[in-house]
Amino acid sequence: MSENLQTSPKLTRKQLKAKKKEESYYLASQWQLMAHKLAKHKLARFSMMILGILYFIALFGNFFAPSDLTSYDGSSKDMPPTAIHWITEDGRFVGPFVYGATMERDPKTYKKVFAEDKEKIYPIRFFTHGKSYQWLGLIESDLHLFGVDEGGKIFLFGTDSMGRDLFSRIILGSQVSLTIPFAGTFLSFILGLVLGSISGYFGGWIDNLIQRIIEVLNSLPSLPLWMALSAAIPAGIPPVQMYLLITVILSFIGWTGLARVVRGKFMSLKNEDYVMAARLAGVSDIKIIFKHLVPGFMSYLIVNLTLGIPSMIIGETSMSFLGLGIQAPATSWGVLLKDAQQIQNIANYPWRLLPLIFVVIAVLAFNFLGDGLRDAADPYK
Amino acid sequence: MPIIDIKDLCVNIQLDEGMLTPVQGVSFQIEAGQTMGLVGESGCGKSLTSKAILAINDKKCRQTGEILFETDKHEVVDINKLNPRGKEIRDIRGRQISMIFQEPMVAFSPMYTIGNQINECTRLHITKDKKQSKELTLEVMKKVGIANAEKRYDQFPHEFSGGMLQRALIAMALVCKPRLLIADEPTTALDVTIQAQILELMQELQKELNMAILFITHDLGTVAKMCDYVSVMYLGRVVESARACDVYKRPLHPYTQGLMGSVHKIGTLKQERLFSIEGTVPLALNLKPGCGFYDRCNQRIEGLCNVVDPELCDMGDGHCVACHRCKKEATVHE
Amino acid sequence: MSNLEMAPASILKVEHIHKRFTSKNICVRAVTDVSFEVKAGETIGIVGESGCGKTTLGRCIVRAIHASEGKVLYRAEDGQIDDLITVDKERMKKIRKEIQMIFQDPYSSLDPRMTVTDIISEPLKANYPKMPKADREKLVVDIAAKVGLNTSYLKRYPHAFSGGQRQRIGIARALILNPRIIVCDEAVSALDVSIQAQIINLLKDLQRDMHLTYLFISHDLSVVEHISNRVGVMYLGRMVEYAPTEALFSKPLHPYTEALLSAVPVADPDVQMDRIPLKGEIPNPANPPSGCYFHERCRYCQQKCIDEAPALREVDGRSVACHFADELTLRGFHYES
Repeated sequence: MSENLQTSPKLTRKQLKAKKKEESYYLASQWQLMAHKLAKHKLARFSMMILGILYFIALFGNFFAPSDLTSYDGSSKDMPPTAIHWITEDGRFVGPFVYGATMERDPKTYKKVFAEDKEKIYPIRFFTHGKSYQWLGLIESDLHLFGVDEGGKIFLFGTDSMGRDLFSRIILGSQVSLTIPFAGTFLSFILGLVLGSISGYFGGWIDNLIQRIIEVLNSLPSLPLWMALSAAIPAGIPPVQMYLLITVILSFIGWTGLARVVRGKFMSLKNEDYVMAARLAGVSDIKIIFKHLVPGFMSYLIVNLTLGIPSMIIGETSMSFLGLGIQAPATSWGVLLKDAQQIQNIANYPWRLLPLIFVVIAVLAFNFLGDGLRDAADPYK
Repeated sequence: MPIIDIKDLCVNIQLDEGMLTPVQGVSFQIEAGQTMGLVGESGCGKSLTSKAILAINDKKCRQTGEILFETDKHEVVDINKLNPRGKEIRDIRGRQISMIFQEPMVAFSPMYTIGNQINECTRLHITKDKKQSKELTLEVMKKVGIANAEKRYDQFPHEFSGGMLQRALIAMALVCKPRLLIADEPTTALDVTIQAQILELMQELQKELNMAILFITHDLGTVAKMCDYVSVMYLGRVVESARACDVYKRPLHPYTQGLMGSVHKIGTLKQERLFSIEGTVPLALNLKPGCGFYDRCNQRIEGLCNVVDPELCDMGDGHCVACHRCKKEATVHE
Repeated sequence: MSNLEMAPASILKVEHIHKRFTSKNICVRAVTDVSFEVKAGETIGIVGESGCGKTTLGRCIVRAIHASEGKVLYRAEDGQIDDLITVDKERMKKIRKEIQMIFQDPYSSLDPRMTVTDIISEPLKANYPKMPKADREKLVVDIAAKVGLNTSYLKRYPHAFSGGQRQRIGIARALILNPRIIVCDEAVSALDVSIQAQIINLLKDLQRDMHLTYLFISHDLSVVEHISNRVGVMYLGRMVEYAPTEALFSKPLHPYTEALLSAVPVADPDVQMDRIPLKGEIPNPANPPSGCYFHERCRYCQQKCIDEAPALREVDGRSVACHFADELTLRGFHYES
């Protein structure tokens, strides 16, 4: 009978594939399920891509930036972004190039006016050798992604009042702006985890004390606190130490929310049936904490961390903006935005607001990623 | 003319993994004053069927088939064709068809008093007059046996016990004198003594209002007490449908037989073992043709049951069953 | 130790156990003066409505919570009798293996982050840390086969399983230490009817094969009637009646038992329900009535019931807490032979 043939146990390739997929789902641990769910969240996936690109560029910052932090060009102060051309005036195709620049003053307003010198053509070269730098302080190199021949100038995002290339400074500033939150959250993570666990596990007066401390810290307005703390940083210390001290200041406030999450999760998980089953089986308290409780709230912690990073980015930016954070010669997005403090500057040189766009992109990306993580955090629901 | 006549109702949900068909071709009808029991285990589609009648299923659910409802103006409307957010369905929902839920504790908002919440329903459907609606509300609260109704009117849900809340929920469902009451596991969350009270209350009110009741449950005991007719569902299909006494005395479908065998009838001598159906209910995902119960059936006919969908056939006296084996035996007898 | 005594056939004896929860001047008596004795190999059913203290009683016995007063005598495998409330830590560690628990909710009772093998072998790791991995895994496979789990699925995580199968995993975890008493707290209540029957049959088979004693806590009277040898009925923290199953269901001695039985819907349309109505609602356990806790709702109530709390006493070889147990003729189920 033909009908019998259809129902024979021979599986088609499609069915076999489906079965394999099902099997891998059954064998998937919590993290695998989370990754699977996160991959389905389109916005989070997109944000992860954006963040990946941002961090990649920050990691190889000296390579992507045509210039470095210390070099400046007195003849090209406040220059607007350089236009990139492909075809010359007479219709000749030469690939990407820039024209030479000439500066004139407006006879009436004395305002600087930059014009393109159509005679001089500087093609953009890729993988050029320019200023030498030390990558991560280890490898000596002078390779840059792009540059122009001697005599030409390329400022993708324009320059500042000292003639420094804004594009390079944004990239090099991201090395600070994007890593401080990580170092800061790492510190708050440790503080929050330890203090939250102690609070949730022991309860009683210790719990009470820690909760009150959290409340006091939360009630302090953060800006004055930052100002007070950074006033305590001695002037003229090297940038690396400065950087570390600022992370400590930021995490000093960041841990409180985390500690509360940990404590709450600890208390609710303590009453789960499987924890009681483990206790009845004679499993020791320490083992219960590390085998059942900590893995139970780890995913929530990561969500909280991710959602906490944006506020750290903004925190660093505002501190630097107010002149309390990173000091020259080091730079960050906040320091760059300091140039845009005056309204005339924004009106005359609007490109100085470009760092703001990067702050917004990074903050939004972290928020979307955190959103996706939150949806994926409990894959069993 | 039945109050509600459901014909070939299907509910589909498109998932990434494939097509989920929690309800496939359900048909039944209920007349005024009758109680129909919809019995089945979790995941058999009984709740989705009831939600389809009120058109409150999720947007992702695609419904086909007909749900013919006779309104109080004696017109017949197909609920499936109405706009689920339209005026017509809102007039039917709550006023002509109402529903009681399983968990009375979560059916009320903790922010408003009980009286306030029942009153909302009255004001929406019956009268805009504040005084009159409050009187109506108090009347219905007394009717469902809430003692001290005036005082209770101003109390909040947390001041009520579970049984009292379920009474209040019934009051809310009945304040508009609906033609059809859907009771989705109304007593599952309650204790036995309170369950008995609630069931009795429902029966009394049914007599008084002559309404039809769709009683959804997995508990064979309450069905025996409450229902005139029973439809047994398995994997989205009605597998057996008959008068309640017929189903209990002479279950025909192997699934119904298994279900009856797996509960111990209280007050009878002990059997050593309960009859149990092997395996578990499969997910209604990408269903193959043939009887849904095939894998777990102890009376299956290979080559027939797993190939052809069994249809619901009348075995005489209104006792319908969807089983190839039963049909075969019936024809042999003739 | 003179007061550690119990009948030779008994394995567990609960004596005047109390459990009070106090918070901010409110004292809730969850369990009040409960006593009963359990013979080895029996199944004891504990029934009662929500809030009657049956779960608290079970947890006091496995010592998940500490009873406020009273004794729980247990005859261990080595023949020694201990009071589980006062026993020292060393000894408790030994006894813990012999008393295990099965939970109600098959979803929250398994850690979703562990594989089935890890879940079932957790008690082994805790109690026999030196056991080689191969031996442990063999034991897990054996027990999994015994409870009817497909042994090729042991590497999977709990989310791969349905409610019934999860409950089997929970049972396997309870059995791996070879216990003697298992407290089943609403062990089948969350399951579908046909799955309930599978699990009940499994529990019965395991009892026969492994000589287990069950304490079966449930609100479902028909399940309790089916599985138990003896049944204890609880009301507002007190045990009101404790008797062999058939005697209790056919001829209850306490008016509350009678009312409870009359309210159960029988799965037979021909059996007419003739419910004995109960006045009012269950009182607040923080503020129980005087005398007999049931007197406000009892239709046989007399002055004595209001004044004096009845103690659990022997009537016709069963225990009941009612002043008029030997005078009243109460209605139960008729068993047809």
